[in-house]
Amino acid sequence: MNRLLVVFSSRWTRLVLVALVLLGLQTTLFNQLRPFGVMVPLMLLFSVSAGTVYGSEVGAITGLVVGAMYDCVLATPFGLASLVFGMVGYIAGFLPLFVREPTWWSRALIIAAVSAVGEILFPVALKIVGIDGWLDLHALWIAAVVALLTGALAPLFIPLSRWTLHEAVRT
Amino acid sequence: MLLALTSIILLTLDLQGSSATSNVRSVFGTVFSPIEDVVRVVTRPVSNAWYGITHYDDIKSENRLLREKIAQQEGAAVAAAASVRLSQELLALNGLPTLAGINSVTAQVIGESPSNFSTTVEINRGSESGIRVGMPVLNAAGLVGRITQVFTDRALVMLISDPEYALSIKVVNPPETTTATTVPGEDIGTKVTVAPTTTTTTTTPVVVSTIPGFTPGSTTIPSSPSGVTSLTVPVSGILAVRETGILEGQGPQYLPTVRFISTDPRFGAIQIGASIVSAGGSTSLAPPDIVVGTVSRVVPRLGTAGPILEIELVTDLTNLSFLRVLLYQPITERGTP
Repeated sequence: MNRLLVVFSSRWTRLVLVALVLLGLQTTLFNQLRPFGVMVPLMLLFSVSAGTVYGSEVGAITGLVVGAMYDCVLATPFGLASLVFGMVGYIAGFLPLFVREPTWWSRALIIAAVSAVGEILFPVALKIVGIDGWLDLHALWIAAVVALLTGALAPLFIPLSRWTLHEAVRT
Repeated sequence: MLLALTSIILLTLDLQGSSATSNVRSVFGTVFSPIEDVVRVVTRPVSNAWYGITHYDDIKSENRLLREKIAQQEGAAVAAAASVRLSQELLALNGLPTLAGINSVTAQVIGESPSNFSTTVEINRGSESGIRVGMPVLNAAGLVGRITQVFTDRALVMLISDPEYALSIKVVNPPETTTATTVPGEDIGTKVTVAPTTTTTTTTPVVVSTIPGFTPGSTTIPSSPSGVTSLTVPVSGILAVRETGILEGQGPQYLPTVRFISTDPRFGAIQIGASIVSAGGSTSLAPPDIVVGTVSRVVPRLGTAGPILEIELVTDLTNLSFLRVLLYQPITERGTP
């Protein structure tokens, strides 16, 4: 029983549950609200936020899990989103190397920049697996708008990822 | 590194067509579907408010335009229905396949692709309705796309604009003449014009047939409830000339293009506004003569490569609500009983 409780209260169980809700928002509300014709990639934003808050390792695992769930609702090859999200989660974890004591706004800037990189990496990965036609100037426009939107939403996602992935202190 | 390898293994499995990944997607879809429904219901007021704020003026002007268009179309629809019926009767008489003879399933669009790099929509019918991967999807205007993933009670439709979409099509240059169906009992003022009215009418060449009882330029069909008993069929010299090519999507920002059009002198110059319809054939995923669009631009190329055509689609892919899935599979795809 105790083991079950430990599993349910673990950060990874919380991650899956929060990611399910985020995926629900991604496929419904945020799929329709497209400022400047671009969808806000909530799942990518969450992976990057986790990386900036908890470092590369947690960021990469979060990216893999969240990306795999996202892959399940996409028509693109399975594993592509998990690979890209895992990479950007890992990259976002290098924040402490550049900023000694990150503030909320410096995290937001990093999240915006890394999200834009992730949004560019996706069509690059599509091209690598043989799906052509997405890597063009419009992809740069999408990445720029994504940077703007994720930067604006980052102050909400930093505490969300902090709460989701915090490790319970065992006594 | 281990995580990256895991993703690459998953990718490889999926690209090799492993059923494991499609099973995972199917199970996840079953689990996720109720969550998505709840979120959709909860967030509907927010999305409605967003649409109200951002699209109010557009919707008002669109509504006004649509009212005008409906008024214009009502008359044309009656004429078109008569022409379609005549066409189907003729095709049936000659034992040719028609779209009316193919079973279909009507489905509602329940979601778009949740990605900036994929153009698919989700519909609320799946394998339990007989839908299979590859089946063509239409709306009232014409071809929309094809089924790309099927689950028990839902399916994903890849739109024509997707860069992965390709279809064998026919380009139909309009004939430079005007033909008409004549309905007995009606005066000349109600003649139905079928061909484009902008082209100049040419004199029909005199053709003498040696077949007893056959007069080129007209044929008689069995009586129908609409009372139409005769149809003017143009002689071969003025029939629309067709040429085949491959239509490819170019992404949502660009018009689809047609390649591999051969430069046949008989076909002549491709006209702007020429119709694009599906070519059909034993290996094509779509039956013949589904309307796709019209030629909006011809880009000539040197050599034997043939021109590239930009296609203005007849369907508005940004505003899809109800779709019709044709339960059609080419002969090569049909399983043995």
